[in-house]
Amino acid sequence: MRKLRALWMRLRGMFAGAAAEDELSAELESHLQMHIEDNLRSGMTAEEARRQALIQLGGFEQSKQAYRERRGLPWLETLGQDLRFGMRVLRKSPGFTTIAVLTLALGIGANTAIFSVVKAVLLAPLPYKDPGRIVAVWTANAARGGQPLPSTAADFAIWKQRSGVFEDLAPSYDNEMTLTGQGAPQFLIGYAVAANYLRILGVAPQIGRLYTDQEDRPGGPKVVLLSDHLWRTTFHSDPNITGRAITLDGRSYTALGVMPRGFNYPQSVEIWIPSAIEPSAFDDFNHTYVRILGRLKPNVTLAQAQVAVNALEAQVASAHPDTDSGNRVVLVPLREQLNGDIRKPLLILMGAVGLVLLIACANTAGLALARNAERQREISVRLALGATRKRLLRQFATESCLLATIGGGLGILLAMAGSHFLLTLFPNDVSNLNIPTVTSIPIDRGVILFAFTVTVAAALLFGTAPVLRALQVEADGVMKESGRGMTASRRSNRLRSAVVVCEIALSLMLLTGAGLVVASFQKVVNADLGFQPDHLLSLELFLPPDRYPREDRTRTRTFVEQVVKKLETTPGVASAAATNYLPLSGFWGTTNFLLRGQAQPKDGQAPEADNRTITPNYLRTMKIPLLSGRDFTDADRDGTMHVAMINQTFAKQYFKDKDPVGQELNLGSMEQPNWCVIVGVTGDVKAFGQDQPTHADIYQPFDQQPYPIVAFTLRTRTDPAAMVKAAEQVLWSVDPELPVFKAIPMELLADQSLAVRRASSVLILAFSVLALVLACIGIYGVMAYAVAQRTQEIGVRMAFGARRSDVLRLIMSFGARLALLGIAIGLAGALGFTRLLASLLFEVNAMDPVIFSAAAALLVLILIFACYVPARRAASIQPTEALRAE
Amino acid sequence: MGEKADVWQGTLALMVLKTLETMGAQHGYGIARRIEQVSDNQLSLNYGTLYPALLKLEQEGAIASEWGVSENNRKAKFYKLTRAGRKQLEREAKGWEQTKAIVARFLSPAEEA
Repeated sequence: MRKLRALWMRLRGMFAGAAAEDELSAELESHLQMHIEDNLRSGMTAEEARRQALIQLGGFEQSKQAYRERRGLPWLETLGQDLRFGMRVLRKSPGFTTIAVLTLALGIGANTAIFSVVKAVLLAPLPYKDPGRIVAVWTANAARGGQPLPSTAADFAIWKQRSGVFEDLAPSYDNEMTLTGQGAPQFLIGYAVAANYLRILGVAPQIGRLYTDQEDRPGGPKVVLLSDHLWRTTFHSDPNITGRAITLDGRSYTALGVMPRGFNYPQSVEIWIPSAIEPSAFDDFNHTYVRILGRLKPNVTLAQAQVAVNALEAQVASAHPDTDSGNRVVLVPLREQLNGDIRKPLLILMGAVGLVLLIACANTAGLALARNAERQREISVRLALGATRKRLLRQFATESCLLATIGGGLGILLAMAGSHFLLTLFPNDVSNLNIPTVTSIPIDRGVILFAFTVTVAAALLFGTAPVLRALQVEADGVMKESGRGMTASRRSNRLRSAVVVCEIALSLMLLTGAGLVVASFQKVVNADLGFQPDHLLSLELFLPPDRYPREDRTRTRTFVEQVVKKLETTPGVASAAATNYLPLSGFWGTTNFLLRGQAQPKDGQAPEADNRTITPNYLRTMKIPLLSGRDFTDADRDGTMHVAMINQTFAKQYFKDKDPVGQELNLGSMEQPNWCVIVGVTGDVKAFGQDQPTHADIYQPFDQQPYPIVAFTLRTRTDPAAMVKAAEQVLWSVDPELPVFKAIPMELLADQSLAVRRASSVLILAFSVLALVLACIGIYGVMAYAVAQRTQEIGVRMAFGARRSDVLRLIMSFGARLALLGIAIGLAGALGFTRLLASLLFEVNAMDPVIFSAAAALLVLILIFACYVPARRAASIQPTEALRAE
Repeated sequence: MGEKADVWQGTLALMVLKTLETMGAQHGYGIARRIEQVSDNQLSLNYGTLYPALLKLEQEGAIASEWGVSENNRKAKFYKLTRAGRKQLEREAKGWEQTKAIVARFLSPAEEA
């Protein structure tokens, strides 16, 4: 308590003004006078009385100083002095200060902005109970393409009972539904999830309750949980929502509760209903539709669980080889499941922006070195006058911190401005990628803390070199050196050279990385989608089973035919068609098939292809080329011969050199065959995005294979976005109760599918340009200074007969050595760095020689320029002037 | 002048507190003279060191100061004990007694030997 009070008083004492100084003087003065009077009384002379009093006091000024040190906090005051002095020094060289602060601000700002995204996306706490132990469980099988896909209910049941690694395991499957009776009909993404599924996530509804295990059974009550979004928009935040009856797919469901805001799993789901899986389904090894969520036991690691489940699945496969052989069980941690496609690009960006910061630091270090060399006089004078090395070090460190702090502060402001921009780069409306929903990128305490840490690290990085340099200074040595030095001292040359080499190496790494990523992006953007996305409007919808029963597909046929007919005659529409799975929409489905003469394969091992059903005008509307054979016509109807078209990938994969036209495909089963004659071969469509491989596709006439999932496509004569209203009116004129899931121009859809790739490319390009500009400034500054320091040497050489070309060569070869060294190191680093980029590359070799040499050449050019300008200046000086120069 | 003991920090604070307790409010010069007198001129006290010590005690709240007029009609800053100061004096005096006793016990057998 006493100590604290004293500390507080001393802190206040630091700001003691003139009044306190006067008071101290007055007190000591009165003390002296009293002492002198006493001395006089004891018989001293006036002079002696004063002298003795002062001796006893121990000196007037000394006493005052001792008192002052007690009044405030001396170390804090020294810091204050250092800061004030540092500010003065920085203000005295505004050019250096501006460049250094801006460089640091850009470096720190870029890092902070990217970190704010990383934090918001990758590090934000998940609103689930102990999310680290929640895993999504998938089945991968080489015969099905090797990707993690849904599992069978039988596998699920076995894993749940026998794996021993899960605390709990829950099934779910997607279940889209149409909501009616609440204004316009709405198509909703829904999930049927087991009661324990929600318990695994550990969420409680904000209103109402979850359903119980008893309610989650076949024939159980029709209950539903609503998302916060659905509740707020469609149900206007009705506080009495629980118990209310709502109509889904024409059936009445009871709303049980509303899930909390921010609960978003599986993503974009609006309604959750009980899974109600029939007990008999758990013997089904054939149908793969179960999406599994599990919670690991507390003492089980992900790797252990992975091994255990796969060991179990190997046993299952030997018991059920027809269906399960080749199955690999994949456990995906929840966070990875949520961030899938964005994690790597973000981490790569973080790495790139880290390189920018390193360059910024090297820059500032180079500038500070050059400037401190100019200050050597000051340093040596201060050393000669008795300043301790420690005191000087402190002074330099303070200056570095001051620069870094100003830079860091500006950087945070930059990041605040920039993070808003970053948000627009990560759109939420991407259908073909797994991207978490991020609505805001806050600059919060964690981000500020990061910025602060980066600032301190930066200060240490760029501040160390100049401080080390200052340490090595000898008081007399410097005076001599800067007085009559002929060549700059070895050590300072070496430090400066190191800075230049670093900057070249780092810039090269970033440049090659950016070159590869941007080249990939160019390739992706220019990659042929296989259809013409311009002037193309799409409307996706889902036909509710209550009015479009699966058993009777006539209604579906009639509906689609009517709408297409009406759309074709709508003004502004050149042609119209319909399909089941729209390219780039994120929806797709597959079908098994057999070729004529092919032996019956084992269950689950039959070849698979994407099944696309289209109306006759589809190829023309989408402008998908027909490579051989014929397109579907209005004559290919239900009841006529079943026909199919295949895409080029399919033709290559299964027919090799044979002409597929006229061949037959069995799209049914062995027992109930559905033979279709291949009538045509179409061009490939990049249905999953320009950068994704094309699948083998089978097209069937919509009329022969109607689907409840329909996407109408319209080739418009004008802006397709302006046609949305008209197209919807047409739809509703045929069925006023039908919700449109999504109406979007295909060009926009294609654009969105590249969102992450575009964001990454734009950012990495921006960072490398930034790095290049910084490196230019830094390299030029250091080289110009290095040459300027050698002015005297050059003078001597010229006085002894060296020609201007000799001087130029001398300087240029110095620069060339640095360039070569920097490029050698940079290439080695780039090879490592670009390997990490693999996931962002597309049809570009990670070691593309053109990009590598172009980046290296660009840096050599910069270095030549940075050397040439000062070298020419040096060479054009008269030797006599050069000799006199300091 | 003879051998004089230096006053070390801590003890000086104790002496100041005791002086103020005995004499009541007193200015810096008065305290210094008093300490010298009590020590029978055995202490070499640099008067200048007294002021930081007084400041420290004041910062810690053991003493308080105000300007007044000295016996010779001179303006001077007077220090007086606070309640906290009185307690501190008691505590430190007791501590000092203990230290003294312990050190004495260590030293006495050596004298006998």
